Amino acid sequence: MSVYRWLDERLDLDRFNKKFMRKAFPVHHSFFLGEIALFSFVILVLTGLFLTFNFEPSTRLVKYQGQELPAAYVSVLYIDSLPFGKVIRSAHHWAAHIMVASVFLHLLRILISGAYKKPREVNWLLGLLLLALTVVVAFIGYSLPFDAFSVTATQIGYGIGKSIPYVGDWIAQVTFGGEYPTVHSIPRLYALHVLWLPLLLMALIGAHMLIMIKQKHTQPRYAEEVAPGKILGVPMMPMQISVMTVLFLLYLGVLFILAGAVIAHPIEVYGPPGTSTPALKPDWYFLWIYGILQMIPSSWQIPLPGGASITSEFIGGVLIPGILGLAALLLPFVDTRKTKQRYVELPTEHPMRTSVTVGLLFFFFVATFAGWKEEFGMTNGQLWAMLIFIPLAAWFTTYVLIRQVWGKRPADE
Amino acid sequence: MADKTSTTRRAILQASLGAGLGLATLSSLFVAGGLKPKKEITPETEPPKEGDRFVVAEGPDKGKLITLDLLPLGGPFVLAWPKDPKTGVVKNGERNNLTMLIRLNPDEYDEETRKNTDQGVAAFSAICTHLGCTVSQWLADQKAFLCPCHKGIYDPRQGAKVIGGPPPRPLPMLPVKVENGEVVAAGGFLSPVGVIAGRSSAKPRV
Repeated sequence: MSVYRWLDERLDLDRFNKKFMRKAFPVHHSFFLGEIALFSFVILVLTGLFLTFNFEPSTRLVKYQGQELPAAYVSVLYIDSLPFGKVIRSAHHWAAHIMVASVFLHLLRILISGAYKKPREVNWLLGLLLLALTVVVAFIGYSLPFDAFSVTATQIGYGIGKSIPYVGDWIAQVTFGGEYPTVHSIPRLYALHVLWLPLLLMALIGAHMLIMIKQKHTQPRYAEEVAPGKILGVPMMPMQISVMTVLFLLYLGVLFILAGAVIAHPIEVYGPPGTSTPALKPDWYFLWIYGILQMIPSSWQIPLPGGASITSEFIGGVLIPGILGLAALLLPFVDTRKTKQRYVELPTEHPMRTSVTVGLLFFFFVATFAGWKEEFGMTNGQLWAMLIFIPLAAWFTTYVLIRQVWGKRPADE
Repeated sequence: MADKTSTTRRAILQASLGAGLGLATLSSLFVAGGLKPKKEITPETEPPKEGDRFVVAEGPDKGKLITLDLLPLGGPFVLAWPKDPKTGVVKNGERNNLTMLIRLNPDEYDEETRKNTDQGVAAFSAICTHLGCTVSQWLADQKAFLCPCHKGIYDPRQGAKVIGGPPPRPLPMLPVKVENGEVVAAGGFLSPVGVIAGRSSAKPRV
């Protein structure tokens, strides 16, 4: 306590506490998704710290048990041999999965409750940027162990970058250190994965949270009924902090049980990179792109002036995800209603927005399913029919259902 | 008078600030050019050229010089690295040099393709033109190459034309001859290897 008083006399901590530590947090379970993403980031940094101390970012060949193997691959084998090394590497991998999932679910929550509207456009844009960065950092993380799986996956990422007309070659070579794989590739991807992109993530997460504190949370529905126009919630100190600590510890426990029980990315199973391509599917959050890439026939080509052209890999790998991203970026500037700027909107009271979201989710599901094109013996025609009609049917059914079940309720405007 | 002085001062400050920032940006662009790594050509990374032999790239025969008896008639294909016969250097330092050698009945090839084969042996780049994976599977029933990444299928009998899946263009062919039973390159790849930056034209890059 005297330490606190000593610091308070010099730094005026009391004023800081009154200003920030009393911030009211609305209590609602769906509001924890962003926090889970934040916890994931913290754990990724901490486990990453351990990994960086032992990882060797190089593809030069070194002698290992009578074989010549890339140094990066050998150093991951070394990490796996350390006490709990394998579990920590596995936890790093699992936390990345959870981070991507929670960022996406957080986005869905914001989307279906209309919390992207004015004045929160900036945080919506920052959030989209954070989602994109999270996926990019996770993808680059794959490249680092330099095993057969990771080299092939990175090869595909390089190819997608390179397929962008005119500038693709430059972008891909700058990102992947030349015509992947070269001796420059792993050092460059390593720097991006452990230094520059995490710094950028930290800055953006900081901005995201400061803006949230400045603008305040959207209020859950009950707040509107209990105390209209007032901000309801528990203060950051001591209540929200306690809840967060419990959640964090719970998360930590579940993560490490999972990481220990299911070791992620066992590199000794994949082996060092060879000349043949291993049979592999990407991570779940890339499966929809993987599915679409297989559905686009080689005939889809649009020539551009100057010898460039829009090719199948550009359409599947860049154009379709790009269009979806652009639509998301534009959303708050299209939906400019001035209603419910302080409160969340119930999904059932906005049947069109909710049903379009459900339709989009089904688009992702069907595109993901297309990743098993060969296993299910599907033709492109069948898959395209499914990819167009199932999301439309899901959108229509959801819309009708919401109107039928909730539509008659008086909208409280 | 005082007004005029301060306006001039501001104009000079703005001009010098603008010029300074402009020059700094321009010179940083010059530095940014170095972000794209230099391509280092060594004997191991040189592209295949006329006269090169081939060695097996993987498996129990790895490193063995490829002769007719190593190539089963009717497939499957063999993955190979080119080898300079004079220096003995195996050109496995550049992934784009990975070549697939296939031996089929000479009558099976179409006219255009047959010109670049000898005694039924044909050579193609093993790097998928879709997203750069190694085309590493052989479909025995279709007599075709399959890239396992996104299921691109190429028909060797029609100059590795795409007969299924997403690849934008055929696998580049490498003309070969057979001399004393050894497979010899009769030239380099006839079109650019691998993914080309948003280009689909099959014109060779010189």
